[in-house]
Amino acid sequence: MSLAVNSAKWTQTMQVAWSNQLVYKLNFLMLVLGPVLVFFFIKYNLWSSIFSMPGVTTIQGYDLASMLEYQVWVMIVALLAQSYNNMKLAEDIRLGRISSYLIYPFGFWQFHTASFFGTQVIQIIVSILTVFAVAAFGFDLNLSLDQTPAAIAFCVLVSLLWFAIAFILGLAAFWLDETWVLRVIFVIIAQFLSGAIVPLEIYPVWFRSFLDYTPFPYMTYVPVKLFMGAYEGHIGTAFAIISFWLTVSVLVATWTWKRGIRMYSGAGM
Amino acid sequence: MIACRNLSKSFRIFEKKPGLSGSLRQLFKREYRSSHAVDSFNLEIGKGEFVGLLGPNGAGKTTLMKMLTGIIVPTSGEALVAGHQPSKREIPFRKKIALVMGQKSQLWWDIPAMDSFLLLQRYYEIEEKAFRKRLGDLSELLGVTNLLNVHIRKLSLGERMKMELMACILHEPDVVFLDEPTIGLDVIAQKNIREFLGSYQKQKNITVVLTSHYMADVQSLCNRIVLILDGKKRFDGSRSEFEDILGREKSISLRFEHAPNIDDHAWSKMDPKWSNNNFQVELRIPEATMRQTLADILLRFPVIDVVSEKMAVERVMETLLKRPELIPESR
Repeated sequence: MSLAVNSAKWTQTMQVAWSNQLVYKLNFLMLVLGPVLVFFFIKYNLWSSIFSMPGVTTIQGYDLASMLEYQVWVMIVALLAQSYNNMKLAEDIRLGRISSYLIYPFGFWQFHTASFFGTQVIQIIVSILTVFAVAAFGFDLNLSLDQTPAAIAFCVLVSLLWFAIAFILGLAAFWLDETWVLRVIFVIIAQFLSGAIVPLEIYPVWFRSFLDYTPFPYMTYVPVKLFMGAYEGHIGTAFAIISFWLTVSVLVATWTWKRGIRMYSGAGM
Repeated sequence: MIACRNLSKSFRIFEKKPGLSGSLRQLFKREYRSSHAVDSFNLEIGKGEFVGLLGPNGAGKTTLMKMLTGIIVPTSGEALVAGHQPSKREIPFRKKIALVMGQKSQLWWDIPAMDSFLLLQRYYEIEEKAFRKRLGDLSELLGVTNLLNVHIRKLSLGERMKMELMACILHEPDVVFLDEPTIGLDVIAQKNIREFLGSYQKQKNITVVLTSHYMADVQSLCNRIVLILDGKKRFDGSRSEFEDILGREKSISLRFEHAPNIDDHAWSKMDPKWSNNNFQVELRIPEATMRQTLADILLRFPVIDVVSEKMAVERVMETLLKRPELIPESR
């Protein structure tokens, strides 16, 4: 199949993803404004009150300003990397909707991957707007020009990793009737272990050394630190480890898909 | 165009006892049973045939269709559709077939039909000129030209079904599978869809397999009927052969000005079913003696209306579902 024909399929699918994303105006507005509102109403207030307690000036090297800066970048990384909703994917399987994709000459994973890319384009725009919005409120984000390209490249890998994991969790619907519990458990664990709730410096050193071999720190902590220009580890190693986990996830997703589709019953067709 | 040999599919079904204790028990020990949805099915369908796949709910019609379209993989046996093995799901195969599901939308809910069509144009690699022509012709024929830019979720069921049909034949498939395409539609919409399907099939000489619980669909569209009961093929033949299973008799309904004597010996041989305070009767009259018998009745009784049966398929189907033993063994 020629490249032009194939890319037309992908770009058209991405356009459909945009239409789908933008169809409900209020929903889209919440998607854009939600994270900023959560940041200002919850995280800002929470950390401000923690740091206003008597005797608390720094926590593991973070003062209020740097903690808030850390939390802003956590929000941006989440916007860039963690946006794709796999609930739809699991629902497609459970309600037998993937039947359509088994008949169209453009498969299920292609459709979802193209939709994912489409969603990413919107998320990048939302992220840039969010950075400006936060800056407009007077936050100094200390964007590090040295490490920013690496941070962006890292976010691309992290988004692919999240997508592959979302795909695997969604595919579990071939065997399980409900998969949202799995997703919620995974997201909560990932939130804590990736540094999305609190910076990883809070954890004991031995635990952090262990975490370094898991995919978690690379999902939030590392790209956040790169954006802040404060990553002290070896960037090449970080890239190697996340690439390794990405490869593993893609392989598991492919294997799960092949196994699942053989036993698929197209419930309700 | 379609051939299958000993095609079978069995599912493992999980059974849960009712109530809380049943729910708790199933956490530890699950009871499964195997169900043969389709059992050693043999079928040959040639190009240009319009085949009605009939059977009650749960008989295995949809499972058979899912196997023939490659949605599910058969447990055993072989199938060949348009020269391909469906379970391999090869792209050239997918471009030759289409499936319309009356119960499930294949179009994207949140976007206008036109966006879906453009997407399908890319997926099926339809050239711009051909695409525009087909889209124009089909939307005009189905009367939906002014609805192309409306979101699918805002369309009525009948309008949506027309869009589904368009979406499925834009790529001009060789084989079309229709799974209850008129379900839930009002009488007019059913008729429109039926007429469209009939003329389109004739014009393009495509192969169509249809399942429907509306016998009017089958009566007006299918030239061949395959009956499936409990996963097994029980009848395969032309529509007229199907209609003759119960003998060459016609069902005639008569209405009277006033109730005639129902004990008259004239009725006894015609299996009369009286209704409406004996103002109405349904009779079964052998085709060979129909003229004479009717003439006698019209002379002797105060008949004000005669209705001959329009839906022989429905009557046969109804009888066979109640009394499957009437199905001839050899078919």
